[in-house]
Amino acid sequence: MSVVLESSGHLGESDVSSALTYEEFGAESARLGRQIADRYQRYEIETTEVDDVDPLPHRFLVEVGKIGLAKFIIKEMIHYRGQVDIILSRPCTYGVFSGPVGGFVPRPKLCVGCLRCTVQHPEFVSVLPNPDRLNLGDSYTTHGHIAAIDEEAKKGMVPVRGQGYRGRFGGPGFDGMLTDMSEIVRPSRDGIHGRELIGTSVDIGTKPMNLSFDSSGNLVGSSPRMFSIQVPFIFDVPPGDLGTRQMARILDSTSKRIDTLICLPAANVLDWEMDSANIVPVVPKSLPEMVSEFEAARLIELDGWDIAALEIARAATNALLGVRISFTDGWQERFSQAVNHGVEVIHLNADLHGRGSDGRFVSDLFKEAHMMLIDQGRRDVVTLIGSGGIVGADHVPKAVISGLDAVALDLPVLFALQGRSHGSMTDRGEVRGTLPRKMTDEWAEQRLANLCASWRDQLLEILGAMGIREVRRLRGEFGRSMIVRQLEDEAFAGIEGYVSGGPA
Amino acid sequence: MTFSKPSQALIDKTTGLLQSGMNARAFGEYGAPEALGDARWTDELILSTWYMAETGKLPEGLNHKTGKSDGGFDRLDFRYLPESEWLEHSEALDTTLDLNRRGDAKRRISIDIPWYGGGMSYGSVSLNVMMSRARAYAKWNSYMSTGEGGYPIELMECKENVITQVATGYFGVEEETIQAAPIIEFKYAQGAKPGLGGHLLAAKAGEEVAKLRGSVPFVSLFSPFPFHSTYSVEDHSKHLDWVETINPTALLAVKVSTPHDVDMVAIGSYYAGAHIIHLDGSYGGTGAAPEIAKKNIAMPIELAIPKVHKFLEKEGVRDRVTLIASGGVRTTDDIAKAIALGADGCVLGTTDLVGLGCTRCSNCEGGPSGRGCPWGLTTTDVELQEWVQPDWAVQRLDNLYSAMQYRLRDILRQLGLSSVTELRGRTDLLRYIGKEEAE
Repeated sequence: MSVVLESSGHLGESDVSSALTYEEFGAESARLGRQIADRYQRYEIETTEVDDVDPLPHRFLVEVGKIGLAKFIIKEMIHYRGQVDIILSRPCTYGVFSGPVGGFVPRPKLCVGCLRCTVQHPEFVSVLPNPDRLNLGDSYTTHGHIAAIDEEAKKGMVPVRGQGYRGRFGGPGFDGMLTDMSEIVRPSRDGIHGRELIGTSVDIGTKPMNLSFDSSGNLVGSSPRMFSIQVPFIFDVPPGDLGTRQMARILDSTSKRIDTLICLPAANVLDWEMDSANIVPVVPKSLPEMVSEFEAARLIELDGWDIAALEIARAATNALLGVRISFTDGWQERFSQAVNHGVEVIHLNADLHGRGSDGRFVSDLFKEAHMMLIDQGRRDVVTLIGSGGIVGADHVPKAVISGLDAVALDLPVLFALQGRSHGSMTDRGEVRGTLPRKMTDEWAEQRLANLCASWRDQLLEILGAMGIREVRRLRGEFGRSMIVRQLEDEAFAGIEGYVSGGPA
Repeated sequence: MTFSKPSQALIDKTTGLLQSGMNARAFGEYGAPEALGDARWTDELILSTWYMAETGKLPEGLNHKTGKSDGGFDRLDFRYLPESEWLEHSEALDTTLDLNRRGDAKRRISIDIPWYGGGMSYGSVSLNVMMSRARAYAKWNSYMSTGEGGYPIELMECKENVITQVATGYFGVEEETIQAAPIIEFKYAQGAKPGLGGHLLAAKAGEEVAKLRGSVPFVSLFSPFPFHSTYSVEDHSKHLDWVETINPTALLAVKVSTPHDVDMVAIGSYYAGAHIIHLDGSYGGTGAAPEIAKKNIAMPIELAIPKVHKFLEKEGVRDRVTLIASGGVRTTDDIAKAIALGADGCVLGTTDLVGLGCTRCSNCEGGPSGRGCPWGLTTTDVELQEWVQPDWAVQRLDNLYSAMQYRLRDILRQLGLSSVTELRGRTDLLRYIGKEEAE
């Protein structure tokens, strides 16, 4: 039996004009569905493991007493005479003692710290933490952060290890914030394996809080002015002396590859002829007319709040305009004024330890900025980007939970490229770093792409555990975070000696 | 490179060196290895666990009570009575724990010590380790969970002390092993990787492991998150009904992580029919987990226990369900503190492994060698697994639990309590100590 069904025109095909039978409709639907599915490309960042060019100091030092080892070998040769497999057996499965002369010249770079050798042979083997490794970084960006970034940039994967957490209970800054999970809610019907379907793109720009239409259904009033990037992180202006032309070139190519943005000083963008859609020129507020030089830029930032500069810049470009606001005295006032004057993107800046000039941490500062917009009913009118203190993959979702749309990365770039810091790791202007001499653009781009892929995948883990399907929904979701101090107050209230925040 | 089962002579040599080396370190003949320990499991905690596992006694001169994590259990201590009011240290101090408080027709199960063994699957650990734990817990009239990886036939000798775990991948779950178990545990989530499911890396999914799990050898196995048949507490209830149909007398345990709404999860589980609500905190162990998950997702167990305990009390059902805590419970003092915070008992995992030599090097997932634990614990490598010989391991764990039970009685008597059940929820017997005192 043939039944006449509606035309397939509603499926977007105009060449089929006659009515369809059930069979034809099914076949046509399947064909069109396949066509749409084939057009879909899931966003991903291509990763490839890359070799080290300036590896971090080994985690461990392995010291072997040569006399003790020689005595042990002689004893074994006598005791196990003829049993070669036993005499040659070594207490390391990682090859530390498998060099040409075995334990006489150990290979500490292979040591993972299982300590079997030093337990098995306490009389002549020692394994020590390498002080050169422990001395990397500072009190905020620790050697642990640097090692994690190094691994992420090398492999492009989520670091996975056995055993449980090894660090302190809670802690300051982002360490004092935990993310939530759900026992049964999942981001998609594929469960956590639907993490591929979780969206990490964010909108940069402004959206009206509501749309208006005239009687004919035409849009009237303001319409969204925005574009999207695929990850909730951008590259910030390289701090200190890191802003070389090579660094700009590498960040530029990486940001194009992963579809994000890079902030660069406007003068550099001009001098190095780098104007493009993924570059955000940072224009001095004393030279606002300079914005007209950047025809390709989608977003231009002024390096501070100044109403006159904004007006001049606005008249000179159609690009989105952002303003960088540092968390120094009076930032709330500058922030409010910028919002009131229609600034579309605000880039909040803390020091590299994530602190404002009043000592408050960025999670509180970002939250305050976010809440100011919420209270005004204008959150979607402004995009909030934040920098400072973002040195770990977990800091990205935590900053977004605190109210940001996206974060900007600074120091992680240095460590992803196996650079070393020699200056301040607090004050942006005082950062001094060296990059590997053997660094090539291609190697560096892959390292940064790997880092971004790893951080994005870790963001997916966090979102997946929460059952949240896109990072945009995570913004300002304080209720899906837990603050250790508050949890302690709830758990330990009434216990002798406990005071909120714990005694010193 | 492939490895074969080592000769007996090599086993004897290696285990001999390892065991004598552990003793030399634990007894102070040599100092603690410089690279041993971390904030949660300090070198002293590891060495003291080795000491207890070797001797069955508490060490002197080693801190066997707390780590240096600067929070949670490590900032809690007990408000002991003046020495003149202490009870006598004796076996009359009751450490038993009833697991069925619902008063229904199911089994009445009481364990001699207020802890049992957490799930570590065959694949994540070797058969030797699994059997050793099962036998040791059987000696103590307690239990060990299979973890998600099936039920090796060898475990049947301890079936009266083995908990069959049903987790989200259903690996190795069979009617027969559900029927064999006195307790069935549904694992919804794991503290070390809440909301992320499980992952057994390819290198550890060898022939035997794959056979038991019904999978292809040396192919990574993902245990999804969450149960794909569970969208609500009603679905959860159906889950429990399903198992009850297969094994009407088994107790039902529900293992969950510690999210913001863990109290609601607990009460939901209770009304779905659970006898045991098992909270697994975020600082717990794992064979493999994303580093980002271990610290950042969900809450430490110390913070979850009082939340759930108080909520169950408020709902009027606290005495009808057994609340078990795990995930960062390392020592007897941790167990006692967890109970004082509101748990009935605890589950141990890492402590058992440390007792058998684990140094917490974090290479359980395979490490750079791809072979798993070089100590033979979290590996199915045919050579490495021989470094843990079952007879030795059972004795180690037996000794460890003896020392732990002794310490638990010590705590009870100094608090003037004659039974561990009297300690539950007694936060008035705890004090929060300053950082300096904690260190």
